[in-house]
Amino acid sequence: MTTATLATPNQAKPAKQKVILCEGNEAAALGVALARPDMVAVYPITPQSSLVEHVAKLIADGRMDADIVDAEGEHSVLSVLQGAALAGARTYTATCGPGLAFMFEPYFRTSGMRLPIVMSIVTRDGITPQSVWGGHQDAMTVREVGWVQVYCETVQEVLDTTIMAFKIAEHHDVMLPVNVCLDGNYLSYGTSRVELPDQAEVDAFMGVKDVNWHVALDPLRPMAVDPLTGGSGGKGPSTFVRYRKGQCRGMQNSLRVIEEVHEEWAQRFGRRFAPLVEEYRMDGADYAIMTLGSMTGAAKDAIDEARDAGKRVGLIKIKTFSPFPVEALLKSLAKVQALGVVDRSVGFRWNCGPMYQETMGVLYRLGRHVPSMSFIGGLAGADITVGHFHRVIEATEKLPSSPAPSEPVWLNEKD
Amino acid sequence: MGRSYNTIAFDAAKCDGCGDCMTACATVKTGSTDKSRSRIQIVGDESDGFELALCRQCGDPKCVTVCPAAALTKNFDSGVIEWNASKCVDCLLCTVGCAYAGIALDEGVGHVAKCDMCYASPDGAPACVPACPHDALTYITTSRIYNEVGDWEDLFAPGLAGCQGCNTELLMRHTLRRVGPETVLATPPGCVPGMGSVGFNGTTGTKVPVFHPLLTNTAAMLAGIKRQYKRVGREVNALAIAGDGGASDVGFQSLSGAAERNEQILFMVVDNEGYMNTGMQRSSCTPYGAWTSTTPIGKGSGGMPSQGKTQDAKNLPLIMVNHRCEYVATASTAYMQDLYDKLDKAIQASKRGFAYLHVYSPCTTGWRFPTDQNMEVARKAVETNFVMLWEYNPKDGLEFTRPVDDPLPVTEYLKAMGRFRHLSPDQISHIQGKVVENLAFVKQMAHRQSA
Amino acid sequence: MEQTKYLVVGSSHAALEAVTAIRMHDATGSLTLLTRDPHLPYSPTVLPYVVSGRSAPEGIFLRDEKFFADNHVALKRGTALKALHADRNAAELADGSEIAYEKILLATGASPAIPPIPGIDTVSYHVLRTLDDATKLNAAIKQSKQAVVMGAGLVGMHAAENLVKAGAKVTIVEMAKQLTDGYFDAVAASLIEKAFTDNGATILTGSRVVKLAPSAVGATLTLENGTTLEADLLLVATGVKPNMEYLAGSPVEHDRGILVSDTMQTSVANVWSAGDCAQAKGFFTDGKVMNAILPDATEQGRIAGMAMAGDPGLKHYPGGVPLNAYHFFGRHAISVGSSKVPDGAEVVTRFDENSGRYLKAIFKDGCLLGIYGVNEFFDGGVMCQLILRRVDLSAVKDRFVANPLAVGRELMSKLWR
Repeated sequence: MTTATLATPNQAKPAKQKVILCEGNEAAALGVALARPDMVAVYPITPQSSLVEHVAKLIADGRMDADIVDAEGEHSVLSVLQGAALAGARTYTATCGPGLAFMFEPYFRTSGMRLPIVMSIVTRDGITPQSVWGGHQDAMTVREVGWVQVYCETVQEVLDTTIMAFKIAEHHDVMLPVNVCLDGNYLSYGTSRVELPDQAEVDAFMGVKDVNWHVALDPLRPMAVDPLTGGSGGKGPSTFVRYRKGQCRGMQNSLRVIEEVHEEWAQRFGRRFAPLVEEYRMDGADYAIMTLGSMTGAAKDAIDEARDAGKRVGLIKIKTFSPFPVEALLKSLAKVQALGVVDRSVGFRWNCGPMYQETMGVLYRLGRHVPSMSFIGGLAGADITVGHFHRVIEATEKLPSSPAPSEPVWLNEKD
Repeated sequence: MGRSYNTIAFDAAKCDGCGDCMTACATVKTGSTDKSRSRIQIVGDESDGFELALCRQCGDPKCVTVCPAAALTKNFDSGVIEWNASKCVDCLLCTVGCAYAGIALDEGVGHVAKCDMCYASPDGAPACVPACPHDALTYITTSRIYNEVGDWEDLFAPGLAGCQGCNTELLMRHTLRRVGPETVLATPPGCVPGMGSVGFNGTTGTKVPVFHPLLTNTAAMLAGIKRQYKRVGREVNALAIAGDGGASDVGFQSLSGAAERNEQILFMVVDNEGYMNTGMQRSSCTPYGAWTSTTPIGKGSGGMPSQGKTQDAKNLPLIMVNHRCEYVATASTAYMQDLYDKLDKAIQASKRGFAYLHVYSPCTTGWRFPTDQNMEVARKAVETNFVMLWEYNPKDGLEFTRPVDDPLPVTEYLKAMGRFRHLSPDQISHIQGKVVENLAFVKQMAHRQSA
Repeated sequence: MEQTKYLVVGSSHAALEAVTAIRMHDATGSLTLLTRDPHLPYSPTVLPYVVSGRSAPEGIFLRDEKFFADNHVALKRGTALKALHADRNAAELADGSEIAYEKILLATGASPAIPPIPGIDTVSYHVLRTLDDATKLNAAIKQSKQAVVMGAGLVGMHAAENLVKAGAKVTIVEMAKQLTDGYFDAVAASLIEKAFTDNGATILTGSRVVKLAPSAVGATLTLENGTTLEADLLLVATGVKPNMEYLAGSPVEHDRGILVSDTMQTSVANVWSAGDCAQAKGFFTDGKVMNAILPDATEQGRIAGMAMAGDPGLKHYPGGVPLNAYHFFGRHAISVGSSKVPDGAEVVTRFDENSGRYLKAIFKDGCLLGIYGVNEFFDGGVMCQLILRRVDLSAVKDRFVANPLAVGRELMSKLWR
């Protein structure tokens, strides 16, 4: 895998960082421990299971001071955390696929109550057909529910982003739940060299915990949480609208906060990740391919090879998928004449990848026609190889001169 | 002002005039067995029924006001009207003042004598009551509830919008008063928030932190709240007042999970046997044969008339017993003393683990009975054994708290409500059969668990 | 000028009940209780027992200072009402000060009526209406060798019994033909008389004192028949008269007592009256009667208090029913209801010479009008209810007369339901 760090020179690295070797699920667990949540609720599900096992072990070993609730299902997992958050707790869980689907009822409500819960989605494809393998279908399915969703590319980014996610979620201008998405199989089980930040440094980075200043279930400041609103009379409709508008404002604020937090992280820990949109070899690129998550490593290798072969192609990677980083993406898209978008899930309604569909909205705002096409790969654990990306690059390269296909290209269809 | 006191209640229908109470009183008070010297007097005869002459311990006692010697005083702690022998001048004016023959001349000693409820005795309880072989006398100690409750703050706002005659509001107010202000209250969708306890558009009906959980996750949310306060060393009660629908149907997983984890929650189910807030739909707690808006009455199809619910109710409290909760009990608002005893135990148990209270709460709107009949319907449910009042803890097992050994036929209960009006004789015999079966089942559990 | 919302004048049963009733409905309105007596409230009825020494003077008080403090009542003791200026809602006190009131209750009770016998102002005599009278009499009894009691009402009889027990030679002089006239009938009176004479007292009924003069031992009484009696202790107990001199010049209507309505209101707005000074509806008559007995005083006081406070629970006074209980030489006599036998009424009596048990009951149209007993205990309060409620006893009359205690209880226990 190619490193995801940008070309910007690193800051002087803090000396205390330990280097370890671990899988993505363990990295997430270590990140959670460093962020010091008060409560973790868990329910195991493939491929998330080793993550919560790591968390449980960290707590059992006294390396993490948190209450752990082995709930009887994901629905209760998130419900327990909602209660804890309303009582002032920093909270964490992880799930995926069917677990996320089962969780949907409290999941929707978490963002409405503006609870800064952090939840990893160890992404898994949707069933049926039956599958226990990776894919973005679960996270993509709930992209319109008001959670901030960020996708990691590497194991190190999983660890660092997990910590940053708490700070983003709890920022007073945001107060929204955050999903840290790490690709099932590829990141969850992929073992990699990881630099482990120092606890004291992380504590300094996190600052003071203050998660229920806005809404609380606390006898010291009694309030009714979530009384009935809406309807068509009195203050009902306007109350509901104010809430919804506030959620949307929080989502938009998060774009700025995500950038600020990533910048602070880079300053403190010397690792700089593109917060919203990463450009790779976009200097002088006539066209680009777009990626999300761990596939980006192979994609970057393919770009390097294509550049070596003289192709004027670059790469745009989305890290923050929700809220969709429209302005940042506009800047990158402004540079290209054609675009190929690779999704790891499907959008049933538009017969294309969901990220492609979202990107078309941004392309419209560009004010000029950019030929583009949708590629769907890596479903149900399938690998998107450098070879697949060369096919993507080739097809995209031809776009300005040939009509775009009406169907997406299914990369693993003939594997 | 406004204190309440313990009292001796008399059930004329149970008295056979045996006079054991008088013998017991005379023995304790005079050392003789001369019934005429008893402070409690049973009067009347077999043909016309027996009645009672006994000091009422009046709140505005005429005997005290007519005493010229300040020999009679109302003790405002015990409620007893006390007679001071050293001040009494034997003028008998008190006997002239009392319309109840509650104070009379004891010719054995030449002074007046009256019942003092034996309040100065070692157990502070009247000797006559346990002497009655027919339970015609009962020592009512519910005054404790009134007196204590009167001192506690009502933590719901006035004017909750419950249906007329609804006793859920009564139950809520009593419960939250007892549990107190250091509480987070969860009221999942249903009648409890429906009457405005969480509130509408910026107003609230509750003075403690209150919220709507989802119908499905009440126990889980409360668990998170309770655990966080425990973690930071704060004593906060986690209380749910939930409906039977959410608890027994869609919220059951969360309830069962929290019970299995022994979360420190007091979970009260107000069982009105259906989704009454949303228009009286069937729940798994709806009893067999009951009309609901989703088990309506009609001619049906294929020759099978639609005659109400075709399945028996799920017995949720027994299921909770099988979670081995710290405490499980059934209760009824018609038996407030029993309910309060259980509420106290449940509160204590919830400090150790999961406490579950299942309160049967007749619904005037959904069960179709007049709004003034709520307590009567609740009482009939118990008197017919349709509802059984018991409690369970892992140490003592299951025990009946108000056993009904001589139950009324279940029709006495069924006919009190419109929702059973259509029942066929077969359906009624099915219900009566289930009452017998359920009683036998619970009795067996009571026997097994306490053995 | 001092102002108060409620001014209650008097400090015995009627006044105290009124205070309680007012406070039941109005917890905060200013309330002043004015009494000419220097002591805390007590009952005149207990005084014979103070005389006998049975009741310790310090133990007879019906209320303590704390009661008045707790109930926010300003207690003004030792100050009599001198004049009522009803026209301007002001009470003029003996010390010349005035209290302005919104509502006033006159529960001023009664004082001994001193008969206009020639020479009475030349001799020293006792009366018994106040605690101070009682303590004086208590001291005098111990010294007395030969005492005369004028008047054989309950006060006189009580005192006579005490004098007998103290060892004095006692003569009771009564104008009426029997003792305890108006309380008990001739048979009961004869039983009482026998108890006294058995204990050494001399009873002179139908006798009138016509002259009094000082003598070496104390006083010489001359009777109508020319007999003279020497008394080292003379007690005048010939009845009482309502205290209402303060009404002179006021428009408050009064007759033998202060005339009141069924809610104890006088003829003047804002002025109520209750107790021994009030003349109110009688239960057995259409006219207004003096019914100076303790239970009636409490009833009237309560009604007056409720009316003054505007308590919506106010019920009208049903009319006075005579109620008396009298304890003598270890025996007791109880009378409830009318002693008069109207036309068409039936009188049932039974008397057992051996036990001295005597019972008399008067019925009309099946209803009880009055019941009297000597040494026959029954529940006076229950009997009173049977009379007030006009319960038809026709079906149980024989049983009732045979055992009024049991049958009365049986009836009342059903009537409650």
